[in-house]
Amino acid sequence: MPKEHYAQLQETLLHEKLDNGLDVFILPKPGFTKAYATFATHYGSVDNRFKREGHEEVKVPDGIAHFLEHKMFEEPEGDIFATFSSQGASANAFTSFDRTVYLFSATESIERNVETLLDFVQNPYFTDANVEKEKGIIVQEINMYRDNADWRVYFGLIEALYVNHPVHIDIAGTPDSVRSITKEMLYECYRTFYHPSNMTLFLVGGVDPEAMMEIIKANQARKKFEPGGRIERYFDEEPETVRTPLLTTNLPVSLPKCMFGYKETPGPQRGEEAIRRELATKLMLESLLGASSPLYQELYDDNLISDGFGHEYNTGPGYAFSVIGGETRDPDELIARVTGALNEAAKSGIDEAVFERTRRKRIGSYLRMLNSPEAIASEFTRYRSRGGDLFELIGLYESLTLEELNARLREHVHPSRMSASIVRGE
Amino acid sequence: MRLHVLPTRRFKTFSLSLFIGIPLSESRVSAVALTPFVLRRGTSSYPETISFRERLDDLYGAGFGFDLYKRGDYQIVQLRLDMINDRFVSSELSLLQEAVRFLGEVLTSPALENGTFRGKYVEAEKRTVLKRIEAIVNDKIRYAGERCVAEMCKDEPYRLLALGRKDELAGIDAGTLYTEYRNWLSEAAIDLYVSGDTSLEEVERLAGESFRLPEGTPADYAAPEFRAPRAEPQTIVERLDVAQGKLNMGLRTDIGYAAAEYPALLVYNGILGAFPHSKLFINVREKASLAYYASSRLDGHKGLLTIQSGIEIGNYEQAVRIIVEQLAAMKEGRFDSEELERTKAMLSNQLRELQDSAFERIAFDFNNVLSGSDRTGENMLADVAGVVPEQVTAAAQRVGLDTIYFLRDRKEAEVGA
Repeated sequence: MPKEHYAQLQETLLHEKLDNGLDVFILPKPGFTKAYATFATHYGSVDNRFKREGHEEVKVPDGIAHFLEHKMFEEPEGDIFATFSSQGASANAFTSFDRTVYLFSATESIERNVETLLDFVQNPYFTDANVEKEKGIIVQEINMYRDNADWRVYFGLIEALYVNHPVHIDIAGTPDSVRSITKEMLYECYRTFYHPSNMTLFLVGGVDPEAMMEIIKANQARKKFEPGGRIERYFDEEPETVRTPLLTTNLPVSLPKCMFGYKETPGPQRGEEAIRRELATKLMLESLLGASSPLYQELYDDNLISDGFGHEYNTGPGYAFSVIGGETRDPDELIARVTGALNEAAKSGIDEAVFERTRRKRIGSYLRMLNSPEAIASEFTRYRSRGGDLFELIGLYESLTLEELNARLREHVHPSRMSASIVRGE
Repeated sequence: MRLHVLPTRRFKTFSLSLFIGIPLSESRVSAVALTPFVLRRGTSSYPETISFRERLDDLYGAGFGFDLYKRGDYQIVQLRLDMINDRFVSSELSLLQEAVRFLGEVLTSPALENGTFRGKYVEAEKRTVLKRIEAIVNDKIRYAGERCVAEMCKDEPYRLLALGRKDELAGIDAGTLYTEYRNWLSEAAIDLYVSGDTSLEEVERLAGESFRLPEGTPADYAAPEFRAPRAEPQTIVERLDVAQGKLNMGLRTDIGYAAAEYPALLVYNGILGAFPHSKLFINVREKASLAYYASSRLDGHKGLLTIQSGIEIGNYEQAVRIIVEQLAAMKEGRFDSEELERTKAMLSNQLRELQDSAFERIAFDFNNVLSGSDRTGENMLADVAGVVPEQVTAAAQRVGLDTIYFLRDRKEAEVGA
């Protein structure tokens, strides 16, 4: 069986692509009590216009990938949570822009739980009644997020940045779009995106990897799948400029919340070049805006930011943007100060010592992350879907140069591609 | 200071936790809350905040942080440090030694000017604490939870926020805070935990060199006061601009973490609301489609059980009725063997899983320090496995509803409360 050994990290990874197209990865963690598994499809909220090979192109309602995720947990014999509970497993799922992930963690009956995970996701059961019943629950989930200022300011920024790309559509949809969803639509999405060839199983923890691989292969061999057709996804062209430079939302908050960021024309989507670009951008932002940067300390001393001030860089199919901000007494001044400093740095360049220290810090947090089976599973599949390898990031970090970061900085901070989102009380 | 070492080679890190606890009190809560905020600004060796943070970056991005919370009738400050084991990097330093030294300095050797804290740090951190207190309302789920407990415990110190009192912050200055800090250090119960590839001998040596604590034996944690629930539950309705109503309930029990009946109470809470197979999730969410979340949580150090759910505002009465029905069912022993077995399986899983996280192992062991018990993962597992239905029903008799709290919108509709 193909194995990859990462000597520096003391990790060994088992990988097989099964006959039906399913990618299976197993990372044993000797000494760990628990096992954690994710079963993920490359299908998320942005996949709202698509065509399955041999079928018509379809456009589906907002929030349907997330709706489907909710409904997968229902089986003819009842709620699958109960089955996992009986087997001592804690199960869950989430939907992001480009992935839907089903998962469990357990310390016993790992084999049975892995089979339950595969079986329930590979057995859709939608009825008019159970689809209808779910709508009330999802509308409450949407309402919960409507009251959440952090979510609103974050999503407000994406809405402000993007004109056409579906990344700006709320993952859960709207109460109206959710009410328009039918079981036929759910089956159509299911048949398109839940074919094994569009999915990845990742298992990490205290397991016997060879034995587990045999169980998974046998489980899949017992099931019949039509050949998986090619999936075409359609995205309307996204202009270089933003939809609106400023989007304001009213919600009762103690201090305004302000997030701003830059939209990029997404560079290479896959492979080492894409991963390098992502790491370089994150390192660049951390060097300039991290908690040990002079700018951060100045803003804190001037009472413009709180501990929650931060940054991220988010990239996926057809989109890439930064998010900078937090709560502030004065959004305008915060934006002016930070963009001013970024523009200044774009001219003068990032300090060499800061770059080295930040790199060291990122490598340290990367190694600490490898203690967490949950983080490994999530990050591994994310890098994998972009043609990269989580376990080879140290080498990439070490090979990044200051020139690369400076080039990223100059490319990234482009005034016409910036938007801000502000949540404030009335 | 008591030392606790959990030697293991399972992790790529050393994890350190320092717990400093004193009884929760009206007069000291704000100064104690402010203290860790000021301590994280600088130490005698790294007096500038930037140099302090650069030091952490140089230690391979060591993760440093702190938490403030209430456990039982105590206000606890927890300082955490998480850093990689030297064997994964080419370092000339002993990273564990540097970590213990750093933490020791943070607690016992802060940056000073003229013999007290730096005024600039104290003023800035007063603003930060104030902002944190004011920000609680931004997160409606948390706000409703805090408000429910505050209403329930309005005659006890437990009503106070671990972050302290807004009105008191303004009166604190560098001098008064420093005096409070010295008293805090000499009176508090202090426990240092280290998990990683090390030994008690090594940690004893390193801690001895690094902590400059006042002489004397560290304080112990006293048992909390368990109050009986109100004879008639109170109902509190509060209005804010919200899209979703937050329905919270507060219940009291006299069964604490150290009690022999505690495992039965854990099972009670599991059947009632801790899991997706529990009565609250099934009946409020799955059957009635009223909510996205509906769960219960047990605090064994104070004898509190809380229920939380987010609902359509108009469904208030129906949701209360369904939840109260579940509580009644528990009292009458109306749960089947499947509910019992599923709950036991989930609790066992939680107890085993925590072995895989250094900080969770530390937290589990610290429960013993807090409650004067000596539970291990193994005997807790055995105790949970041995719980019989009659014990769960007996525990249910010792749980009583005290407070119903509802956060709703400002629209002037009638609510049947």
